[in-house]
Amino acid sequence: MDIAAQLPLLLGLAWLAPLVSFVAILFFGPRMGPHGRNAAWVATAAIVTSLVLSLFAAGTWLGAHPVQAAHHGAGGHGDGDHGESHAADAAGHAGHASGHDEAHGPLAYAGDWYALYEGGALRLTIGWYIDALTVLMFVVVTFIATCIHVYASGYMHDELHDVTDHEVHLSGGGHLHRPGRFPRFFQALSLFCFSMLGIVIAGNLAMVFIFWELVGICSWFLIGFYYERKSASTAANKAFIVNRVGDFGMLIGLMALWGALGTLHFADSPVGGGEPARPGLFSLVRPAAGGHAIQVPDGMVKFAAAAEVAKTPAAEVAGKIDGWRGMGLGRWLLFTAGVGIFCGCVGKSAQFPLFVWLPDAMEGPTPVSALVHSATMVAAGVYLVGRFYPVLTPDVLLVIAYVGAITLFIAATIALVANDIKRVLAYSTVSQLGYMMLALGVGGWSAGLFHLVTHAFFKSLLFLCSGSVIHACHTNDMRKMGGLARVMPWTAGTMLVGCLAIIGAGIPFVIGLSGYYSKDAILAQALSFAQANPAHSILYLAVAGGAFLTAFYMFRLWFMTFAGEPRDHHVADHAHESPAVMVAPLVVLSVLAVVAGWTLPGGFGLANLLEQARPAGTAEGMTGGFAFGTLVFPAEHLSHEGAIHVTATLTAFATALAGVVLAALMYLVRIISPAVVATILRPAYAFLAGRWYFDELYHALFVVPVLGIAKLASGTDRGVIDRIIDGLAWTARQLAGIDAWIDRTLVDGLVNATATATWNAGLELKKLQTGHLRQYVMFIVVGTVALFVLASLLFRTSIAG
Amino acid sequence: MDPAASLTQPALWPLTAIVFLPALVAAFLSLPIVPKAREEFIRWTTLLTTAVVFVLSLWMAWPQLFGAAGPAQFKLGEPGMQAVVKLPWIKAFGIEYLLGVDGISLPLVVLTTFLSMLAAAASWPITKHVKAYHVLFLLLVTGMLGVFVSLDFFLFYVFWEVMLLPMYFLIGIWGGPRREYAAIKFFLYTLLGSVLMLLAILMLYFTSDLRQLAPEQLLASHVVSPALDAAAQADAVKAITAAQAPVHTFNLLALAQIGQLPNSPFAAVQLWGMTLEKWAFLLLLIGFVIKVPVVPVHTWLPDAHVEAPTPISMILAGVLLKLGGYGILRICYPICPGAGLDFAWLVCGLGVVSMVYGAFAALAQKDFKRMVAYSSVSHMGYVMLGLGVWSAVAGHEYRWDAWAQGVNGAMFQMLAHGISSAGMFFMVGVLYDRVHHRNLEEFGGIFNRMPVYSGLAIAVFFAGLGLPGLCGFIGEVLVTLSSWNYSRVLAVISAFTVILTAAYILWAIQRVYLGAEYKGPHGDHLTPITPRELAIATPLVFFAILFGVAPQILFNYVTPSVNRQVETLADWTRRVHDAAPAQPVAAAAPRIAP
Repeated sequence: MDIAAQLPLLLGLAWLAPLVSFVAILFFGPRMGPHGRNAAWVATAAIVTSLVLSLFAAGTWLGAHPVQAAHHGAGGHGDGDHGESHAADAAGHAGHASGHDEAHGPLAYAGDWYALYEGGALRLTIGWYIDALTVLMFVVVTFIATCIHVYASGYMHDELHDVTDHEVHLSGGGHLHRPGRFPRFFQALSLFCFSMLGIVIAGNLAMVFIFWELVGICSWFLIGFYYERKSASTAANKAFIVNRVGDFGMLIGLMALWGALGTLHFADSPVGGGEPARPGLFSLVRPAAGGHAIQVPDGMVKFAAAAEVAKTPAAEVAGKIDGWRGMGLGRWLLFTAGVGIFCGCVGKSAQFPLFVWLPDAMEGPTPVSALVHSATMVAAGVYLVGRFYPVLTPDVLLVIAYVGAITLFIAATIALVANDIKRVLAYSTVSQLGYMMLALGVGGWSAGLFHLVTHAFFKSLLFLCSGSVIHACHTNDMRKMGGLARVMPWTAGTMLVGCLAIIGAGIPFVIGLSGYYSKDAILAQALSFAQANPAHSILYLAVAGGAFLTAFYMFRLWFMTFAGEPRDHHVADHAHESPAVMVAPLVVLSVLAVVAGWTLPGGFGLANLLEQARPAGTAEGMTGGFAFGTLVFPAEHLSHEGAIHVTATLTAFATALAGVVLAALMYLVRIISPAVVATILRPAYAFLAGRWYFDELYHALFVVPVLGIAKLASGTDRGVIDRIIDGLAWTARQLAGIDAWIDRTLVDGLVNATATATWNAGLELKKLQTGHLRQYVMFIVVGTVALFVLASLLFRTSIAG
Repeated sequence: MDPAASLTQPALWPLTAIVFLPALVAAFLSLPIVPKAREEFIRWTTLLTTAVVFVLSLWMAWPQLFGAAGPAQFKLGEPGMQAVVKLPWIKAFGIEYLLGVDGISLPLVVLTTFLSMLAAAASWPITKHVKAYHVLFLLLVTGMLGVFVSLDFFLFYVFWEVMLLPMYFLIGIWGGPRREYAAIKFFLYTLLGSVLMLLAILMLYFTSDLRQLAPEQLLASHVVSPALDAAAQADAVKAITAAQAPVHTFNLLALAQIGQLPNSPFAAVQLWGMTLEKWAFLLLLIGFVIKVPVVPVHTWLPDAHVEAPTPISMILAGVLLKLGGYGILRICYPICPGAGLDFAWLVCGLGVVSMVYGAFAALAQKDFKRMVAYSSVSHMGYVMLGLGVWSAVAGHEYRWDAWAQGVNGAMFQMLAHGISSAGMFFMVGVLYDRVHHRNLEEFGGIFNRMPVYSGLAIAVFFAGLGLPGLCGFIGEVLVTLSSWNYSRVLAVISAFTVILTAAYILWAIQRVYLGAEYKGPHGDHLTPITPRELAIATPLVFFAILFGVAPQILFNYVTPSVNRQVETLADWTRRVHDAAPAQPVAAAAPRIAP
């Protein structure tokens, strides 16, 4: 079978398998063995199927497009060397991807399964866009999901029998007893996997938006899994609503694109019948004719120049577009589109200022935190920025970089003082997502997505380890832990691997854990960017400072949990190593956390695989921008070379080492007392412990006013509009009274038989009415009946005529 | 047309049966031979009648289901009026028994018959005056269906009124504690709308003149039946064109043809400083938006819903509100295109205000049903916005497809809201039947008490939330996306509404279904969902999912008709509106062609 048909089939089936599992468990879950025990098998079988199919797809992909060492030769698509590696292949395969377009894009296959709406040239469809990034994400998501399904079948065993929820206090005293809901957990997990894979495979932004919302609602289900707890259901609502704030921005971005360009497809779509393919977003914004350089598409120029267009004869419009583009018309629209779509990513990937939902999301069971709220769903925002990268202008990228920098800094500072083990990891996730965004924002397309993949492995590992700890200790509070390494050696060891991976540990220039490579790439690109744009050097400082903070809080966590003497013997005595079904995924993930960043001899490795998917026109960097001055985005490969690479690597090593040493001094050998530090820096400590008071701020700024406006709207209805209506009714009633008086005194002798009958009919109805039927309504009824009488009179006339 | 031939029109009996069978059965049930005490018989007869009508409408809409398609059945992809029935009624005024369906009305007819059937099944808990209730209920069904299939303005108005009265009594007698207040409020509001509509009807009637239409237009609008042979057609056309005095008409299709003429009499006549076209548009618009309803004429809705019994709430939200949107689409725009273009800002503005205001008000409600009622105000705002962006014009580019998207989205939203809102009201009713209160603060823990019911209810509420994969999403996203080209400000506000919608729906779900324990009275009455209730809820959830996943099922019906109407009006804009700046209508318009 042709690869262009094979890939969508394989990945399409991989995408749908969890949906089948969801439907099966939805209808038959409780009947799947005792207490639905077998639901775990159904869900796991489905995700394993997805994994196998994804691996198959990856094999197909690599067979057709072997990964080679990246070509670091400078130059654009005109360059022969570069053209050989990408464009030549693309020329052969772009036919599948984009009809008969001669665009030299990256290797990609795109198409549509079916349309949701078609009207004229406008089409909203369910389709695919498959490139190396898609295939890679499929493997990563299904692989981590498989590990987590296996882990969860052990972790969630409490739900196999009746549960007493100690966090729910009933009004009559005592705790809640409820039946377990093991199947429901796997049902939601399956739906989540389906939705997440839907985002990854999506061939257009509308489809992304659809699955974007669906992962949101899965997240709602999973955060609110213990829905009897007020805190859980509130956290679930908070997550969804905060995400919707981001989606509000995303909708604006979608509208800006759709309104002006009339398409949301990434790739060109063939029309058939020998007509030229309908261009997608990528080739509209980076037309092949312009060497894939970014430009405001014609549709947006015309949209912005609507007033001019109206004055210009239709035939002359096309000729004037370049002139209008030169005047800068439409660039705000493209900016709005980019920032709008990024807003969605801000919500989903928990970036400043919408990161507040993620720490609360830890109310969900820990496997969920590992899969949904660290490795996959929250990475969807980063993925979308990477996917949408060709459309992002220099100004948008700068916004993204700053949002990432602010996020990584704020979250890292809060993680310094958090005592809940899952919250430390949650803030660490926020911070790492900030890293990725920053990387993408400074032109490190590959660096950002590389970190996305490595982070997925080590962060899911870290969360699962924390779950193992919580499972053993029945508490999230690190102040009650300590010394657990002795009773939980596997957990402690694998978590140490995770900690080392996240801080980017390695022997400089020789070898390291996965995080070593991805973090170095980010640091190097940030440095490269800072050198090219000295005004934005702070971005580099944020990355370097963040590396120090990361190392500190991760090892603070590890030392507090596993090292030293137990702080709470009640906890320590009950602690035990988790069962094999939970430990096995830890081991598998820790191996990947070590090796995921490696590049094999011959060039096979994630970084080079990603290069296959690099959007056209981004390899050689970019210069431009209108809102924030001229920005220079150095080509990414420049950051791998010479002084920049050396400086970045050494900085990363030094900052991480400093962080670990400080953590050791405070929490391992305890030369510096954390309590004393907290006392000395009391205001700062309180500020961080209060999480910068974002929740309080948002409550005062948004929640209270919105509820106030809601009350006002409701009050206006009753207090103003209804008052007016009631007044009118009262007036009508008075008039009806006068009318009645006229009737009684004047019309008396004139009332004919029909009217009497009508009146009697009305009285009959009045009896039916149990209450008192007001008189004026009676008159309205009579009036209406009279209308019918009139109609029949007319009818008689017509017969006569 | 000779009477014998007219009775052989293929669609005469099917369409007539769909409309009048309920009334006929109502007449039978009201006879003294049906004893009041035989309540089960009355209930089953009503349910059976609505089921038969549903099957009949399905027979028309989906011929493949019943074998080969007959001439009275709907041909998919055909944009024009089908199954037209034409009989003279009141000859002196040219009033006809003129019925027909197209892709705009047929889905609404099927929605109506479907919801009527479910509402009849939901009427079992009604125990007061069972006989009278069902008689009025069936009359209501006839009224609603009649409005959707009428192509004669007078007939339309008669059905419109027929619908009003039963509704008044159904709320006023079988309602809750404040039923009288609610019923009167409903009646006053809708009567005001009716009076204004009647005024507009008469204005249009007396200004219309069939002599202005070309023979093919007379045929296309069924003024002269295309079923006649050529000679008879020519005679009929001649009778009109040769008339000495103006030939007035109530024919909606003909009125639309007249309204779109370059020398439309509606645009030529001036009344108190405005064209008659604008007056008629505004009067009709007020009549229809009261039904939709839009802010600020919406306050009848929360009261009517809160007091109405569950099945009546389902009908009210599921069908009656759609009559307003249908009227605007079928009557206001085609007949008064110039006014439609000039007042687009009003229609869109009302839509967006309703969306936001309704959502805010829903957020503040303590009464479950009132909250759902306000969500209807908010959701119907999308319909208004979608219909309104119709008039969007971008410079030289007559982007009819962008307008069509808005209108298609509005149509889809109406159908989807018919399912989700009826579902939401039913779900509230299920709880109310058990615990007899609707205070949002006094629920909680229902999920654990009634798991199947809660699962279905949450699915329906998610459809209301506009979650992808469920029916509420498609209409909202199409309308929102289409609004950008009309107005950036309105588009942004409408996008903002998605936040509020999520907030009030999720908050309500949290307070009612989640949580550890039920906090209100009558906790021991929280029994699992009954088979009858399940039989009503399941189809609603099923269609909410089906239309969310495969919206093309509906668009196959809707799009051809909507697109043709939009194309026609886009063409009108270019041909008449922009090309004739000398005309008073165009002079008043903001956009003048070069």
